Amino acid sequence: MLTIWMDVGSRFFRGFGLFLFLGGGAGSVLALAAPISPKVLHVALGSAETGFDPVMTSDLNTAAVEQQLFESLLTYDYLARPVKLVPRLAATMPVVSNGGRTWRFTLKQGVYFSPDPVFHGQRREATSQDVVYTLMRFMDPRNRSPYKFLLDGRIVGLDERAELARHTGHFDYDSPVAGLEVVDRYTLVIHLKTADFNFGHAMAQPMMGVVAREVIEAYASDTASHPVGTGPYRLGNWVRAARIQLLRNPNYRDERWNFSPSQPADLSLVHQMEGKRIPQIDEIDLQIIEEPQSAWLSFARGELDILGIPAQFAPLALEGEQLRADWRTRGIRLERSVDPAISYYFINQQDPVLGGNQPEKIALRRAIFLAINDDEMIRVMAKGQAIRNAYPIPPGVAGYDPKYRSLLDYNPELANHLLDAYGFRRAPDGYRHLPDGGDLTVHYTTGLSSEDRELDEVMKKSMDRIGIHWMSDKRKFPDIIRAERQCLIQFRLSGWIADYPDGDNFMQLWYGPHIHENNASCYQDVEWDRLYEQSLTMPDSPQRDILYHRLARRLELQGVTKVSTSPLRNVLSQPWVEGFRVHPILPSVWEYLDLTSATTVETTQGER
Amino acid sequence: MVLHHSPSLWRAARSRLWADRVGRYSLLVVIFYLALMGLVLGGALARNWNEPQALNYAPPRWFESDANRVVPPPQSLSVTDISVPLYGWRDPLEPNWSHWAQEVRLHPRQAPILATTRLLGADKWGRDVLDKVLQGTATSVWVGLIAAAVATLIGTLLGAVAGYLGRWTDDLLNGLYGILTAIPYLLLVFAVAAVFQKKGLVPLILILGLTGWTGVYRLIRAEYLKHREREYVLAAGALGASHIRRMGIHILPNVSHVILVQFSQNLVGFIKSEVILSFLGFGVPVSAVSWGSMLNEAQNELILGKWWQLVVTTLAMAIFVTALSLLTDALRDALDPRLSA
Repeated sequence: MLTIWMDVGSRFFRGFGLFLFLGGGAGSVLALAAPISPKVLHVALGSAETGFDPVMTSDLNTAAVEQQLFESLLTYDYLARPVKLVPRLAATMPVVSNGGRTWRFTLKQGVYFSPDPVFHGQRREATSQDVVYTLMRFMDPRNRSPYKFLLDGRIVGLDERAELARHTGHFDYDSPVAGLEVVDRYTLVIHLKTADFNFGHAMAQPMMGVVAREVIEAYASDTASHPVGTGPYRLGNWVRAARIQLLRNPNYRDERWNFSPSQPADLSLVHQMEGKRIPQIDEIDLQIIEEPQSAWLSFARGELDILGIPAQFAPLALEGEQLRADWRTRGIRLERSVDPAISYYFINQQDPVLGGNQPEKIALRRAIFLAINDDEMIRVMAKGQAIRNAYPIPPGVAGYDPKYRSLLDYNPELANHLLDAYGFRRAPDGYRHLPDGGDLTVHYTTGLSSEDRELDEVMKKSMDRIGIHWMSDKRKFPDIIRAERQCLIQFRLSGWIADYPDGDNFMQLWYGPHIHENNASCYQDVEWDRLYEQSLTMPDSPQRDILYHRLARRLELQGVTKVSTSPLRNVLSQPWVEGFRVHPILPSVWEYLDLTSATTVETTQGER
Repeated sequence: MVLHHSPSLWRAARSRLWADRVGRYSLLVVIFYLALMGLVLGGALARNWNEPQALNYAPPRWFESDANRVVPPPQSLSVTDISVPLYGWRDPLEPNWSHWAQEVRLHPRQAPILATTRLLGADKWGRDVLDKVLQGTATSVWVGLIAAAVATLIGTLLGAVAGYLGRWTDDLLNGLYGILTAIPYLLLVFAVAAVFQKKGLVPLILILGLTGWTGVYRLIRAEYLKHREREYVLAAGALGASHIRRMGIHILPNVSHVILVQFSQNLVGFIKSEVILSFLGFGVPVSAVSWGSMLNEAQNELILGKWWQLVVTTLAMAIFVTALSLLTDALRDALDPRLSA
């Protein structure tokens, strides 16, 4: 996922601290004293929103808001683990036929868009034509959608339509596309070019939320400021980059809280929430709080309800794996889970110094990876809030293998022997040269923050262990991404979080045709690409796992990548939050929550 | 003929400085720091500051308690298992890979035993804070010295030219001065830092030197304006001394006390600027350590209760900067007896 990855990725390599402020606080002390009516959830977001036209946005915080404003055809079950696709706008799961090429969706009836002047006071129902319009928008060149790749080359006739638009400068939304067949008002059949078992996941992304054509056209110059969707909430007051108010959508249908527990801890949750109407909370008040310390202190004062602990604060909140005792007595709950994400080192395979397939170049790259001490990284940089994961697919994602053993575990002595054996001789100053005597310097790219400086220190130390000159290449984050796309970054620690819980979302990071997109290592290997393409035609299965193991090992053998860690997510919630469970994929779950006033008052008194 | 020998300006200043108790002690402190800097830069002290000497965050020796005792992490010297399955691939590095992996496995090197405490504690990588602060002192003082020298040189040259020549040269340089001082100092420093794009000690020195000469320029220009009309300069001109000679040989010694005071004032300012720049991440590269980079690290450590790096660095810096400021004041008093009168 393009910018979700950018957004999260930037945090990854900074300190493994995902601070997604998925929840919020129960307001000021004044509000706590009185019974909460209306119920208001005060939520903090870690960075500013980027506008609310789903087709154009791609960062995690905006997606969290859009998840509440718009609805996609499918979504993920709140409690099921491993995560499971369930219908959202669709009435049932799609009927897939023709070997995974034909997807038949039936829509719920009586789904209405939130009120807007464009509708002239009429209630406007969402229909299959709206879904077609929404999907078409992703391919409209004018929208420059970062999520175009989810539909690119998949739907019959849609790419041709986009190609035409590129020539004429106008996307034709009026005439039908063969692959997007409207059967009736509530039925839609999507014809794919090839079998795609992940298409359901694409239809569950928050940016696939359905929009109404007349709204988009009425606000054509500024669609990002006028989100009108069918979701449980609609946009209220909005002070850009400071405060976003979400109000209950009065047109929202009668949707009930009905999820099955998947673990014993869910039972009390289900007991509390079952049968309640969604949403329970009347208003969500989102504040942009960029400084983690401010959010941290707000939560400690009880002004924030739910907080993902930034890694740097983990030693303050946790005792080992447990929540600090005094916080436990306050009734604060901790949820600890592994993120469906990886951090991985990559080396640019097209780089003139480090790239290439000659044995000495492969030995050099593998030696560099061997010199990195992942356990120390976890201990010192992530403050223990990450696990060692050498496989490109993280826990919680289909295809993950906890038993996979890395070829490139920390072993600086082996690295030194290898470098000696392949002719990287040390000069009198202790640093090595290329076998032909040329200068050997590794350029490692990081950002400008203090965590990035720590990363630099780690890497300098690692390269000193094997006698390789090291140089820091400092860039701003957007510049890093741009350079990466142009294959100009030599060596970097990057991160990727699952868009959808399937191994394909991770393996595509090394697919040859994805160079200049997501393949930052600029790796192109005929054998690898052939196997990867073969894996695309297979559902999640032991056969596909065999292919994935071969793919992962080849990346190590050729010295392309070293997968390092998967971060741990620690989320705290206040005692008055009901129904909260961390979801690994959904960007926000506010519509499933409730607030109780009783516990609130009790706790406030208890604090005195 | 009896020669009546009056003490020169410098000799008089020296005795006045030495008579001033504050000036004397601060001079001793500054000399002590300069000596430390020399020893560190010469490699006699804190040479291995970058090597881990102790466990991560080992506390100061006198502060160790049960609460903050560090325990060594589990030995994770996982030696590459040569039996990891290759899933049908051929390793392009065979047979070297297996051979050396086996070799390393059979002859594992003992991991160094790391201390659990250090005199002044250890940082997050287990580096000795005392070594680090010595190294940091050397870097910060050295950067300050060189940058102050650069700034003073530029300021003196331009100030002398502007003040002595006057007319359009003066107007031009005053314009440049006006532009530079119109920009807020830190903003200007960041702008120059952005132009350099590179981290390192040389860019850092240039950033500070190229932005910090304006104060010297202003004062030296005023001095030259004043002095060029004095009788001794006019007399030198009448005797045929060239402009360069009048500027360099005649006027310069008479304004050198201003230069010296400006130099030491700049030194204080630049050391602080270096700390700010390093604190904000624009400063010294990773291969070096300075007071600023140490304070930058310390801000995150303080939250975790690891205060020793912050305290040690702050003390080292506070003592030097205070001593230097006091010395500057004392120098000014000593060199300009009218002020102290």
